[in-house]
Order: sequence, then C-alpha cells, then structure tokens
Amino acid sequence: MIATLSIAARNIRRNGRRSLMTVLAIMMGGIAVLLFGGYVSAIFYGLQTDIVRKTGHLHVFKTDFFQYGAGNPGAYGIDGYDRVIAAVTADPVLKSMVRVVTPTQQVMGIAGNFTANVSKTFFGLGVVPADRDRMREWNGFGLDVAAAAPTGLNDGDAEGGVIGQGLARILHLCGALDVPRCQAPKAAQSVAVAVEGEPVIAADLIAADISAGDASIDPRPRIELLGATAGGAPNVVSLRVTKAEGQGARELDESFVALHLDLAQQLLYGRADKKVSSIVIQLEHHADLKPARARLEAVFAETGLPLEVREFTEINPMFNQVIAMFSAIFGFIAIIMAVIVLFTVINTMGMTVMERVNEIGTLRAIGVRRSGIRDQFLAEGWLLGVIGATAGLAAGLALAGIVNRAGLTWTPPSNIDPIPLYLQVWGNSRLLAGCWVGLMLVATVSSLWPANKAAKMVVVDALRHV
Amino acid sequence: MTSHYAVRLRDVGKTYLLGNVTVQGLKGVSLGIGRQRFTVVVGPSGSGKTTLLNLIGGIDAPSQGVVEVCGQEIGALSDNRLSDFRARHVGFIFQNFSLIPVLSAFENVEYPLLLTNTPKRERRDRTMALLEAVGLADQRHHRPNQMSGGQRQRVAIARALVKGPDVVLADEPTANLDSRTGRQIIDLMRDMQAKSRTTFIFSTHDRQVIDHADDILTIQDGELVGADRRAA
Repeated sequence: MIATLSIAARNIRRNGRRSLMTVLAIMMGGIAVLLFGGYVSAIFYGLQTDIVRKTGHLHVFKTDFFQYGAGNPGAYGIDGYDRVIAAVTADPVLKSMVRVVTPTQQVMGIAGNFTANVSKTFFGLGVVPADRDRMREWNGFGLDVAAAAPTGLNDGDAEGGVIGQGLARILHLCGALDVPRCQAPKAAQSVAVAVEGEPVIAADLIAADISAGDASIDPRPRIELLGATAGGAPNVVSLRVTKAEGQGARELDESFVALHLDLAQQLLYGRADKKVSSIVIQLEHHADLKPARARLEAVFAETGLPLEVREFTEINPMFNQVIAMFSAIFGFIAIIMAVIVLFTVINTMGMTVMERVNEIGTLRAIGVRRSGIRDQFLAEGWLLGVIGATAGLAAGLALAGIVNRAGLTWTPPSNIDPIPLYLQVWGNSRLLAGCWVGLMLVATVSSLWPANKAAKMVVVDALRHV
Repeated sequence: MTSHYAVRLRDVGKTYLLGNVTVQGLKGVSLGIGRQRFTVVVGPSGSGKTTLLNLIGGIDAPSQGVVEVCGQEIGALSDNRLSDFRARHVGFIFQNFSLIPVLSAFENVEYPLLLTNTPKRERRDRTMALLEAVGLADQRHHRPNQMSGGQRQRVAIARALVKGPDVVLADEPTANLDSRTGRQIIDLMRDMQAKSRTTFIFSTHDRQVIDHADDILTIQDGELVGADRRAA
C-alpha cells in the first residue's frame, strides 16, 4: 500500500542532501534546546534541593511574624511549640507527608572575639542539629548528588556553633578554624578600632566577664554572642565554634552563625519561657507542598492557633528570581532555535513544492483533492521534523552524557565553591518530550505555508509548468 | 435516460488573460462525442485542442457554456466533488508521461485505485492485469527513471485505464516518442480502447493517430471547424 507517509519518506530520500541539511538544522536546534534545558533543569532542581535541605519546604510562623517579626522576634515567637509539632506529626494526613518537623529560633546581635578585640553584628539560627542533619540528606528529586555535609553541630553540645567563613575572617579565626584562602591581618590590633561606639564598649564589658580559662580546656575557639532578650535586657552567651562554612553570599558569609536551639533560646529568652520563631517542615515529596500547606492551615484554623504557613519560595525570593531569569534565557534560546528551524523547513519545503509543480498538477488531474496535496507536503514537513527531532534528542542525550562525565565545574550565584556541571537531560522526560514535540510541531507548522501554496495551485497552470 | 454521448459541450467558450490582453482559447464550441469512440482532436498549435481537453477533463473551467461528461454537468460541481469525479470517471495520458518519480511502475498504476478506496486485493489484481496488458509486468518494480520513454507512456496508459474510466483524455501522447515507439503506443491504445470499451479523446498532430480515429474533430482559432465521423 502506498501511504502518504511512505511517499513522503521517499521524497525526503529523493532530495537526500537537502533533506540532510534540514534534518541537521532541526537536530542542532534540538541539541541546543536540550543541553541548555538540561542545564536550567539541573539549576532548577539543584537549587530547590539545596534550599529544601537547608530551610525545608514550609515554615510555620506566628501570625504576622513574616511581616513584622524581625523587629521584635521575642513578641512574635511561637508559644508551646512542642504542642504544635506534636499536632503536626500526629495529624493523619500530614503524618505521611512530613519528613522532618523542627523548631528554629532566629537571633541577632554582636559576635565578638575578645581575645583579638574584634566584633561584628551577626545573624544567627538556632536549630536542632539532628533534625537539620537529617534535612540535609533530602533528595526528593532523585538527583545524582551526594547528601550535603552535616551541620557540624551536635545535639549533645549545646555550646557548639558554626559560623560563616567571612565572619571567621573578621573575627580573626582563620588559623584556628583552618579557613581556606584566609590570612590573618598584618596589624590585628588595629582592627578593633574600626568598630566604634557601643559595640566596642559592650565587647569590653563582656570580655571582662568571660572566664579566660575556658578556652584553654577546649582547643576550639570561643566567641561571645551579645543580644537583647525579649524583655529588652542585654544578654550574652558563649559559643564554641566547631567550624567555619562558606555561605554563598558575602553579606551572609560575614554575619551567619548556626547554633544549638537551646543556646539561641538562652540568648533571646534568658530564664523566661522558651519560644521559637518558626517551625520548619520538610516533606518527603516535593509534590505534597500545596496539599501539606492547605492541611496545615486547616489544622491551625481548627485548633485556633494564631499561626501562618509560608513556602520556601516566599522565604527565599532569590529562588524565583534565579528560575525566572534562567527560564527567560531558555525561552529566548528556544524561540531563536524555533525560528531557525521554521525558516529552514519553509525554505526546504518551498523548494520541494516548486520542483514538483508538474507532479502536483498530475495528482490533481487524476483526482487528488486539494486537501490530499496539502496533507502530502505536511507529511513531508512532519517527517523531517520527526527525523530531525529524534536525531537531535539522541545527539543531545549523548552530548549531555559526555559533559556530565567530563568533570566540568561551575560556581552558581549562591555558592562560594564550584559544583559539578550537570546537564539534567537523561530521565528528564518533560524536557525530552517537550523538545521532541516542539521541534516536530515547528517543522509541521513551517510546512503549512508551502503545503497550502501547493494545494491552491491551478491544475492547468501546474501541468503546463516546465 | 442514459445519453449516448460520453461528452457534450454547449456553446463553450474560454478566455484567458495574458498580461493585459484577453485571449479567446475557445469560441462557442458545441459538440457531442459518442460513448466508446476513439476520437481525435486535430488542429494547428494554439488552436485550442489542449484547452478543449482540459475543459472536458474538468481541470479547467469554461468562461461560458456547459460541459457535460457522462451526463454530469461538471461546471456545477465543487472542487472536491470535481476531484472525486475525475478520480472515478476520467483518465489522463500526458505528453510528458507525468509519472510520480518516487513510485514504481506498479505503484504508479495502482495510485488511482487508492483514491477510490478500492480494496487491496482488487487493486493488486487490476494493477497486474493492466501491467500485463501493456507488457510491463516484469518491470513493475522499476521507477520511471529506470524506464524508456515508450515504457513510461505504457505505464501512463495503464494508470489511465486501471480504474475503468468512462473517458480517457490523451494530450499529444506520442509527441515525445520516436515514430516507431509512437506507432506501438497508438496500437496499444487502440487495442486497449477496444478491450475496455472506453471513450478515448486525443489531441494530436500525429498522422498515425489520426489514421486510427473513429471520429475527427478539427479545431482552428478556438472554433470547431470540422467533425468527421469515420466509422460506426
């Protein structure tokens, strides 16, 4: 049987060189879209994995904390947070969704290394170390990446803490914490002069209160964290720094302190009732984000708890900005490729139609309808698209495999250290299907104009054509 | 009531626009061509022979008048209905053979049967019967570019006849063939016409074709100037 597709395939073979060039153009378009799509996809899922490992999927705050809490964290703390956590973990719907439910306390103040007479404002996060370490193992998208390094904190060591590498540098702890690419200043004594006013006075006061003997017991350096309690009184706690960890952004790196929840609460609440600023929830599956949020809100509404739920994208607006930027670039590249394929196929099919005018006249004369002529040329364009898209997918998969095994690295905007360059093409069925269908559609749509032109030919004029 | 005419034209005219000049291809032609006749249209170049055949075949529309083929006024048909009409009732043989280059001889002959949704087995049987009749059964797998001019025209004849059309139109079918091959093709067409009892209408300058005709229609300057009925 002579099917339309069979004739289309033969006509494509008949103009082998031209068809090959067209297929190559479609293929190159496919490769470009696939590789960049794989790169964007790796960023999309990699960034989400990184954020979810560090900050979880959902955050429960006391109502309005998200808007106003930073100005008065004590007033916006969650009372009886253990009961809230118990309610979440006991809920029959949420029980199967949640992986980790853990309290967090934000603190701010001044961090000082008074043996070096230096200090710096800090932003601190009080956490439950075991919960955070478990969160760092999350790999909900099944990426080919190792679990993130543990926090460096220990449930049994309430005084232990981790600081940003930048903060370690400012506090003259590079040597003590083995911070890479970090040297002690030539005139260390002069650094304290740069911090003027109240912090220096406070630091001097604190230095007088701290027992110098503590540092000699443990080789790890100690710093002091000065803050204000919820009641407004100054308070100070001592932190034993277990390690310095890069934080990506310079501002954060120079101010971040991760500490045990108990120590953070001690700094903020002293001997008063302990609260937390938020409860972080990490889900087993990313797809449960919306249902879990809805259920949490329903539970809080039922129990009358004045709590609100925020997603990680609200906590990390940078995520949406990065994704929007890369999506825009991807869209731009995809459009350019589509336009190149469009004009290539239009050119090829236009030439094909012009070469076969007499054949079109003959077919119409023996009884082929206009739609039959149009279908014939559309089938040829479609087939070119299918061949080019399939070849492009195969080549894109092969190239992605080569790149992924080449050991290339790059440094994303939120990182200090380079990470492996990974193109998430293999197994990315959405990207693969989208690319294939997109190329096939563009090739088919491109054939529409030449096909219509062929279908509208006047039979006698076509037969007369030489 | 079935007309004994395969083709009837009543006051048919055709005008063309060549640039800004209006050219009259046919002027008020009225004629009738009997069923199962071997009719030849003769006349000098540019006289309107091809135009007449195109109008009868429904691949061109008259500027005036009525064209009736097998009792059907084809001017009243929509483009799709006219295509279907051609697919069932009209066979074409072209001067330049006009075979589909990517199809084999068998597939070229079979193609019109696909348009009429003929069952596969019947398609195969009828195609092979026609290829055997034109002496090309052994070359059925050959593509047009693997065949001589005479062989190609034989394939074209088989293609025109395979669907059992009421009318076969041949526009100077021997013009691109040498005289010996042309003679063979004429003999073949005459033979096929006799077997299939189909109405054949030719346009030609070829004396050999004219000698085989039942009827001769003479066209000059777009007008029918002679109708010679030579055999019963």
